[in-house]
Amino acid sequence: MNASEDRGVWLYAVMPEAGASALGGLTGVSAEHPRAVTAGTLVAVVGDVPLSSFGEEALRRNLEDLDWLATVARAHDTVIAALVERGPVAPVRLATVYHDDGSVRVAVEQRAADFERTLEHVSGRVEWGVKAFLQIEPEPARPVKSGEGAGAAYLARRRRALASSEERQWHAAEQASHIHAALSELAADACTHPPQSRALTDQDGPMVLNGAYLVDAERAEQFAETVDSCDRDSALLTVTLTGPWPPYSFSSLEEP
Amino acid sequence: MTVPARAGNRNVALIDLLDRVLAGGVVVSGEITLSIADVDLVQVSLRTLITSITALQPHHE
Amino acid sequence: MNDEEKNRINADPETAERSLVSLVLTVVELLRQLMERQALRRVDHGDLPDAKIEEIGQTLMYLDLHMDELCDHFGLDRRDLNLDLGPLGTLLSDE
Repeated sequence: MNASEDRGVWLYAVMPEAGASALGGLTGVSAEHPRAVTAGTLVAVVGDVPLSSFGEEALRRNLEDLDWLATVARAHDTVIAALVERGPVAPVRLATVYHDDGSVRVAVEQRAADFERTLEHVSGRVEWGVKAFLQIEPEPARPVKSGEGAGAAYLARRRRALASSEERQWHAAEQASHIHAALSELAADACTHPPQSRALTDQDGPMVLNGAYLVDAERAEQFAETVDSCDRDSALLTVTLTGPWPPYSFSSLEEP
Repeated sequence: MTVPARAGNRNVALIDLLDRVLAGGVVVSGEITLSIADVDLVQVSLRTLITSITALQPHHE
Repeated sequence: MNDEEKNRINADPETAERSLVSLVLTVVELLRQLMERQALRRVDHGDLPDAKIEEIGQTLMYLDLHMDELCDHFGLDRRDLNLDLGPLGTLLSDE
């Protein structure tokens, strides 16, 4: 394909040759139809995008626009999710753009070993996310007592409340650690991400676990049930499951 | 708990999605994005996300 | 703050004022919490006479009440007072 002044090539994911036949019917980040570029025994799934929105300057600007970013992120994920139904997929990080197919081919062939390793690792497996939140203790009313000893009584109340809060946080961390260990047992691979900003979650309390687990497809139900019982068994924590996800969290394998 | 279907289009799901597509996936050097490869995509977009959502959120009654 | 953000805030002066007030009250709340913890440490240390403890306790109690009133006055939920410092976590403890 000839390099074009005003178009770039967006890279979605890399798959084994076998899974990438007939890429019809997908819609990409720029409302284009993703297509396949062969790179050795692998196939890169790409889409043609206009540099007016996806070129360096434009991209830098657009990535700071939440609406644009949300639309593009969802489209990127939708394409990848559709590919996952056909077999192992190594998803590529958002916003990886090339001048032409030739460059894509070179880039993928250079990293062929990494891609093969990733594909092997994620084959037949699904990523699940598990988040745990510490439930906020409803605050007891702080009655304003006047008279003798009111000040000392207030301090005593506050001391108890602070100690209790610290204790809850300690226990929450303990439980989160146990939950992660239990879920990791059921998974082929597991990792934790930093807790999400509190302003952005729909929960009142702080996030104490943000885990990702790569689970054999056949174990999905058992995994979900385990998450459910972790939630039920903890009076302190709310435990939620997200997914299924393409294996984003397990794709960046470095050389051992 | 039944195995859930793909997350729908909710703002809560967006944070999970961005977590993954910005910080996950294979990191290959693009060409056009080579120069902004150093920009921490996660920082860029989470800052945007926080600003946008905080500005839009009505205060709890 | 980029132009877009400035425009968004300027378009609604009430939001701007509320953001500023929220920021100020967050700092006040931080100081109140620090003082309270400091006071408890002093009291636990055991070198304060009872009358002093009572005085400190009453002051903190009224400070606490005052915070409630201030938040009420500005239509803010006291639990919303916080600053997200990104990788450093939040300014005030979460619970």
